[in-house]
Amino acid sequence: MAILTKKPFFLWRHLNKLRWLTLVMVFAMLVLLPYLHVYQNFVAAHAYDLLAPSEQRLYDIMEAISQPFTNDPAEDLDAVKGTTWSGTFWGLQLSDPLAVLGQTAAGRTVYWPFWLTALIPFAATAIFGRFFCGWICPATLIYELNSNLAAWLRWAGVRTGTRRFDKRIKYGVLALGLVLSAASGSILVGAVYPPAIIGREIYYAVALGGFGVGMIFFLGTMLFDLLVARRGFCRYLCPGGALYSLIGRYRMVRIRRIVETCNDCAKCNAVCEFDLNPQRDNFGQECNNCSACIAVCPTDAMTFVLRPTDGPDQGPGHLGKHYRPDAAIVPDRARQAAS
Amino acid sequence: MKRRDVIQSALAGITALAAMALPFGFWRVLVPARDRPERNYLRPPGALKDDAAFVAACIGCGLCGEVCPPTCVRFHDRDGGGAALTPYIDPEDKACTLCGKCMDVCPTEALTRVALDKIDMGLAQIDRTACYPWVERGICGACVTVCPLGERAISFEFANLYRPVVEKGCVGCGLCVEVCPHPSKPIWIVDRSHGAVASHRI
Repeated sequence: MAILTKKPFFLWRHLNKLRWLTLVMVFAMLVLLPYLHVYQNFVAAHAYDLLAPSEQRLYDIMEAISQPFTNDPAEDLDAVKGTTWSGTFWGLQLSDPLAVLGQTAAGRTVYWPFWLTALIPFAATAIFGRFFCGWICPATLIYELNSNLAAWLRWAGVRTGTRRFDKRIKYGVLALGLVLSAASGSILVGAVYPPAIIGREIYYAVALGGFGVGMIFFLGTMLFDLLVARRGFCRYLCPGGALYSLIGRYRMVRIRRIVETCNDCAKCNAVCEFDLNPQRDNFGQECNNCSACIAVCPTDAMTFVLRPTDGPDQGPGHLGKHYRPDAAIVPDRARQAAS
Repeated sequence: MKRRDVIQSALAGITALAAMALPFGFWRVLVPARDRPERNYLRPPGALKDDAAFVAACIGCGLCGEVCPPTCVRFHDRDGGGAALTPYIDPEDKACTLCGKCMDVCPTEALTRVALDKIDMGLAQIDRTACYPWVERGICGACVTVCPLGERAISFEFANLYRPVVEKGCVGCGLCVEVCPHPSKPIWIVDRSHGAVASHRI
């Protein structure tokens, strides 16, 4: 207990800002990379004089952006390619674990070089839990802005979706997606997985001249989030979220409430995008360590701990009105003392 | 009328409009596109020969398209049916230059690295009843000039300097198809299993 009564490390309050910065940067990279790809084509074709004025402007901008980092743009810009679904960074190939599972199901063979590309994301998820959903996923940026829009609409008096469903539905979606992938021989989970959709749709829109059909599906999920359930797709339906939740079930890095300084204000429960219960120490396997509850806590009662499970419910916060000092910390013992 | 009622009814109106578009959207998504060409598209170089295995191996990440210098790699959308999101090359539009970057970058075994002359995208076939030099309608030789494999793949007929003849070394990149000036494209890529048609030193 002594370690928990300390004040949390002061920078953890500001991690949420870093998270938004990360999300914006990932999204910006997904937009920038297709433009750089188009620029590379122009460079490789030595085609500057043949370009339309708008294309020449694109060429000039991309040249200005990339010139400090490259000697030979046609070759050097190949260093960073791809999306969060699968990408290559200076020769290091990284893939989404869901891509590996889906491909293995569809092909019914194990191609180990492809499995290796998912090793680093898998290990990071085992340690940090569902961090991809909160920190990297390009769809998360749009979905959280969508949640903020819903909050603004509610502030203006408009009813938005606040339904709740069973969070276990997404595990069914994952299982069904893998089974259907195996049955159909094509990777169907990739077609209903928002980060993969966002990545390739941005590429299609920039480099190949228009959005594909995935955009219709994505707009549908946004409407679902806005009108039916807050962040509903990620909470209840996303197959990748289900997989990450399973991998990150015994994650080492967790958020923990410091009960001595908690005043039961419930802001953490209100801000939690995934409908968890930080106020009563119930994070479960679906916490994505987004640190929004740490940032919102007015009494600095949320901190990170290194332990593989959540630990027991610590009862009402000691600064809250439901806390009785004569009762013990654990509610069971409080009941025993009352009887 | 209160502000909240105005916004609420505006949102309801927008939702109703969007909902009216949904049946059309689903129809567009579910009904396959009709504008497929009669000639088959090519898969990128190094693709698994069994197309079902290729579709199963491809995760639709789009990396092959992102590294392709001439942007010849496109992706099936609705038109692909079960093979949606998989890459293809339409040589009439933009042909492969055999640079091999897509084979290097593909994370799965869908595109595997093979030697340049072992690539098997198909085999060029020339319609000798339409090709300009073959029907004595002038001189051309564009396909022979552009071929990245040179004389191994396509050369001129011995007796006539401008009549192109496909050789055994052709890997089917399709550059000849892209460059052919004839409007009906009398040169195109056929599958190697149709080799009896294609190996025509008639």
